[in-house]
Amino acid sequence: MNPMIRKELRQRMRERRSWILPSLYLAALGGAVALAYYFQTADPFELGRRELQGAEIGVSVFFTVIFTQMAVLLLLAPVFSAGAITIEKEQRTLTGLLTSLLTPVQIWWGKFVAALLFLVLLLLCALPILSLPFAFGGVGPQDVGRAVGVTLVVLASTTAVGLYCSSFFRRSVHATAVSYAVVLALTILTFVSFMILQTRWEAARAAAGRPYTELPRHIIAPLYLNPFFPLVAVLSGEDKHRFPDWAISLLMFATLGYLAAILAWRNLRRAGEQV
Amino acid sequence: MIEIEDLRKSYNGTRGLAGFTLRIEAGELCGLVGPNGAGKTTLIKILATLLRPDGGRARIAGSDVGSEARVVRSRIGYLPDVAGLYQDMRVGEFLEFFADAFLLQRDRRRGAVEKALERAGLADRRDAFVEQLSLGMKQRLVLAKTLLHQPKVLLLDEPATGLDPLARVELRELLKTLNREGVTILISSHILSDLEDICTRVALIAAGRNATDAEGHSVLLLGGAAQASVTCEIDVSGPVMDAASAAASFAGARVLGVEGSRLRLEVAGGIEQASALLQHLLGAGVIVVRFDCRGPGLEERYRRAFGAERQ
Repeated sequence: MNPMIRKELRQRMRERRSWILPSLYLAALGGAVALAYYFQTADPFELGRRELQGAEIGVSVFFTVIFTQMAVLLLLAPVFSAGAITIEKEQRTLTGLLTSLLTPVQIWWGKFVAALLFLVLLLLCALPILSLPFAFGGVGPQDVGRAVGVTLVVLASTTAVGLYCSSFFRRSVHATAVSYAVVLALTILTFVSFMILQTRWEAARAAAGRPYTELPRHIIAPLYLNPFFPLVAVLSGEDKHRFPDWAISLLMFATLGYLAAILAWRNLRRAGEQV
Repeated sequence: MIEIEDLRKSYNGTRGLAGFTLRIEAGELCGLVGPNGAGKTTLIKILATLLRPDGGRARIAGSDVGSEARVVRSRIGYLPDVAGLYQDMRVGEFLEFFADAFLLQRDRRRGAVEKALERAGLADRRDAFVEQLSLGMKQRLVLAKTLLHQPKVLLLDEPATGLDPLARVELRELLKTLNREGVTILISSHILSDLEDICTRVALIAAGRNATDAEGHSVLLLGGAAQASVTCEIDVSGPVMDAASAAASFAGARVLGVEGSRLRLEVAGGIEQASALLQHLLGAGVIVVRFDCRGPGLEERYRRAFGAERQ
């Protein structure tokens, strides 16, 4: 086993946040479930109660939980990754690692696996909550599997970006701020870009008097790098393309993560200048 | 063991090293002195494979520090001026982690960790958290970690920084012991008395280059036998001026002053010539009651080498 992984896990599990964060995370998911159930069943806005199917409640609760989960984990991923290498610089322990026989890739891999494993732990903690909708119907174990798989790929990519920032900056505060900026850009800018493209496409279609068709892929393209898009795409099940949107999106995230990893390895090879 | 040839390194236009050359033989304990910003840390970082030189060549035990960095790392132990520690790890865990990081086999690892704990005097602190150790203990722990893989070469950059006098003595003794065991040591320090106590040679560095003292030496040999000139204080019984005349007639001797019955002389040629001077005085009938002969201390030689530059 890579000694970095063992060290990182040992240190991480000794931190106070190792039990505080899962507790807060589960509380947030529990709250989301309660809210989703309440809005589905209590009709708080008095829109007119209708006969509800259990499956509707199940699907509603499920989507609420997986989107809340993705949002919370996207907020947590930079916490674990962006400080991982900068803290070694701040504590002046990176010198010891760089002059040992560990390669930059091994150092990076140890940090990556440890950060990701903690996020996996959070994902696993949430499985019982994700499975609650089974009681209502409309959601199957394969949906949970798809949602967890997609979330994992997106988080791995975000973790790699965080580690790149950590290898680039000297201070954790800068690395964390830039990591959050990247996450926000991926979430908001991609969505805004998509909205602009869609609006212009709709206007052009209406002006030409063409009938409504499925949005072409070049209009959707910005969303491929939106962390929430592959979740929607993989669970909607409507994609008729030979290469579905969720697969393209995951490929884009995998590419982003791989690029971030390569750049982080390069930075670690030159990290002697920073210590 | 360490060969440095015309080594150059700059950082964004700022000069770190501008052509430094040094050769250190196996088993030597060599010091490195120079003013702040002279390039000592840059040199040691290059040797420790943390920095890549812009030009020149550096080899450790025959391996190039740039192209064979991994081989070099397996042969060196590097102790920076401020060595970081994982405060939230236990002492034993810390050493085990670095034993793994140096790829020690499982059977060798246990022995290496035990030896390191013994050497650092921390065997009874194995389960203590690093943050609970005193500064001296932490420094011993870092040094113990540096020695885990039994390096042939030790590169020490200001290792005594922040240590109390007792810890400094312990460090000096440990370095002497390691040197006796055959470890080649390059140590950079501003504590000249420490270097004088443990080193056989001291290299001078300034502005990234080899610096020289007043006699043009870029590497100072320590120990009386190696001095180019020595200063003698001679207490005599009887007429001191006759003794001064006798001394002045000895080739290479120069009278620096006379105080009471004490003569101060400078003798060119080192301790052997001083010994010959004593014979000469005794032969001339001078009654010598005290003969104290020594070369200038490292501090004095450092002052001569760098004092003018500072002014």
